[in-house]
Amino acid sequence: MTILVGYLPTPEGAAAVDAGLREGALRGERVIIVNSPRRGAPVDEHMIDDAAGAELLRRAREAGVDAELRQPLHDDDLPETFEQLVRETGATLIVIGLRHRSLVGKFIMGSEAQRILMESSVPVLTVKAAQ
Amino acid sequence: MSMSDPTRPPGAEPAGPPDDDPRRADADLLQAEADRLQAELEEARPPHAGPLSQLSAAVVALAVGVAGAVGSYALGLGRLTQPGPGLWPFAISVVIIVLSAVLVVTGRRLQDTERFSRSSLLTAAGLVTLVALAALLPVIGFEIPSLLLMFVWLRWLGKESWRSSIVISIGAVAAFYVLFVLLLQIPLPRLI
Amino acid sequence: MDISPILEGFGVVLEPANLLYCFVGVIIGMLIGVLPGLGPGATIAILLPITYGIGPVSAIIMLAGIFYGAQYGGTITSVLLRLPGEASSVVTVFDGFALAKQGKAGTALGIAAIGSFIGGTVSILGLTLVAPVVAGFAVDFGPPEYAALGILGVLLISSIGNGNKLKAIIAACVGLLIATVGRDTFTGAERFTFGSLNLAEGIDFIPIAMGLFGLSEILYNLEERHNQVHSPAKVGNVWPSRKDLGQAKGAIGRGSLIGFVLGVLPGGGAVLSSLAAYALEKRRAKQPERFGRGAVEGVAAPETANNAAATSSFIPLLTLGIPANATMALIFGALLIQGIQPGPQLVTEHPDVFWGVVNSMYIGNILLLIMSIPMVGVFVRILRVRPAIMAPITVLITLLGAYTVRNQVYDIFLVIVFGVLGYLMKKFGFEPGPLVLAFVLGSMIESSARQSLLIFGGDPAGFLTRPISGTIFALVLLVALWPLIGRFVRRKTPARVEEKISS
Repeated sequence: MTILVGYLPTPEGAAAVDAGLREGALRGERVIIVNSPRRGAPVDEHMIDDAAGAELLRRAREAGVDAELRQPLHDDDLPETFEQLVRETGATLIVIGLRHRSLVGKFIMGSEAQRILMESSVPVLTVKAAQ
Repeated sequence: MSMSDPTRPPGAEPAGPPDDDPRRADADLLQAEADRLQAELEEARPPHAGPLSQLSAAVVALAVGVAGAVGSYALGLGRLTQPGPGLWPFAISVVIIVLSAVLVVTGRRLQDTERFSRSSLLTAAGLVTLVALAALLPVIGFEIPSLLLMFVWLRWLGKESWRSSIVISIGAVAAFYVLFVLLLQIPLPRLI
Repeated sequence: MDISPILEGFGVVLEPANLLYCFVGVIIGMLIGVLPGLGPGATIAILLPITYGIGPVSAIIMLAGIFYGAQYGGTITSVLLRLPGEASSVVTVFDGFALAKQGKAGTALGIAAIGSFIGGTVSILGLTLVAPVVAGFAVDFGPPEYAALGILGVLLISSIGNGNKLKAIIAACVGLLIATVGRDTFTGAERFTFGSLNLAEGIDFIPIAMGLFGLSEILYNLEERHNQVHSPAKVGNVWPSRKDLGQAKGAIGRGSLIGFVLGVLPGGGAVLSSLAAYALEKRRAKQPERFGRGAVEGVAAPETANNAAATSSFIPLLTLGIPANATMALIFGALLIQGIQPGPQLVTEHPDVFWGVVNSMYIGNILLLIMSIPMVGVFVRILRVRPAIMAPITVLITLLGAYTVRNQVYDIFLVIVFGVLGYLMKKFGFEPGPLVLAFVLGSMIESSARQSLLIFGGDPAGFLTRPISGTIFALVLLVALWPLIGRFVRRKTPARVEEKISS
């Protein structure tokens, strides 16, 4: 059994990894950290480099969790990317960070997190950034 | 951008006798490195097409040459002392015919054509929007056709989300309106 | 040498409007140099309609700024992402990216900026000294010499350019053929107009350039899948240390010279000189194995050379009226639009244009140096913009821009037709560059060839007996036959190597 953790280099992402690793240790399950950049631009600020990836995996080892990092590209279909990972890995839980946003911000940018919540076929655990 | 051609003009490399000169080896090695890098960058391109596309390209070029030759012959070649309007285009057409014929024979193994793939359909779709813009522009002004073009390119060719497609296309067309119509006062056909 | 026109040229450049155009050009050049996809050629083509609105000097100053600005912009992505924005920065990748991996991206960029500045400036100095001399030499050229030069130019660009030579020359001939469309200036006969009034006026340069260079590139890029995304790179300190500068000093000096010399050769230019400069440095180095692992010289040499070459490639254009590469063909076209015939008379008849453009490059290079170092961070941010968003905006600028030239929808259709032609050419391995270049030179070659025939009384041997045109035609022959000679030499080489091994 596997847990998918959505990770972006933000406080919310860090909180999601914390929660995901805790959950993984608790259930004794493998954790896949998903850092999915948007396809198209040569650079995506949400894409983490090798050093940051190694650091995440080191934290997982410290927590005693078997973890793996995946960086699949997505277009306008992040929920579908997660669904595919769920099918592929047989994951039973998705952990994502949630950001508090203004109404206007939600309207203009939409919310990937919300779409994952709505479209996921497995339970989704959402966490907020540490205050 | 591919730099695969091994034949270099004189002076293209540090001077020196061409044979058994380490300098030449250096330059060749460098060229190979550069080619490899180029190939890596071009991974995103479709694979090269086979001899048939080479042949058809050469035949099309040949046809252009023949058409040019026939057309310019009809214009009248004149004499060298008094060249007619067709002499120069005829001369060029003959060169095209000769070179294309050589290409038909020798070009079959070249690897510089690209296969048409599913994503070529994107180009075709993009082309349709261009023609639609040009056709609609004099009829209903530039605003609506531009908006449609932007939207189609963003949503379907660029796979942006519905929301950002709408927002960006409206924003861009508004910016064009301000720039072209209000600031530069260019007489674009327009609805408003 | 009379330097007062040079000083007046500075007066022209220092007008606030021209300074602004120079600044805008350099900024645009750096931006598109950073962004993969659209190159300087495509950008200049798309912006050609603007040149109608502003004066010739300002227009060329801006277009030139785009051209050499792009040379530096391409460096940034080479170093940070191992992704050369321009072909002339391909070799910079080897050591530039190696330096970036060692956390010295800033050093590489700083060295490249300083090298670019010095290379550019040396080259402008050379241009200032050499160009009037060449122009003075060429001022007595008659129609036969021009016909010969034009043919040599077309041939050189086609044969030195990238890709298959045969295809390039065929493309060039098609360009010459397209140039004949319209009313013949000698006899008044209509050629290939098919009864169309629009075609009777001939085909305008702007829609051809916008279609073949601008739109075709956008259509071609639509097929690309961008499957590589990088994490944001850290630039760090951009100022190179004294030690780095000391190491790069020689490379910058030699790179300037190589770039200047190769840039003058038609078709040579930036790409070739960057390769040659890198090869020379690697060969001269005491420890050649350092190259590819972060040698400062490996960044300094090609970057200096490509900027020097970009600058010196103006020499054939401004003195002989022969564009040395596709971008120069666009600038040639832009000058023609303004009613200015580039050639030996330019320096005497339009000294304001000549010296204005030349001197703007000093200013442009200083702007480049001032902006590049502190603004690297800004340029890196641009890499986060998705091409999918840029593409439709560029398309709209192209199509609406084409319309604004004469307020005719016909021009938009022409751009689309040539855009599709350019796209298909690229798909089938034909470079659009030679076609555009030949189109630009076409009417000049034809009219001077026909005038020459009149002078010679119909005897084409006259081309060969005049010393200068004869020499040029000998060069034409050499260039045309070079592939055969090359093949002969190449066939000989392995045999000799085998001999050596067996003995």
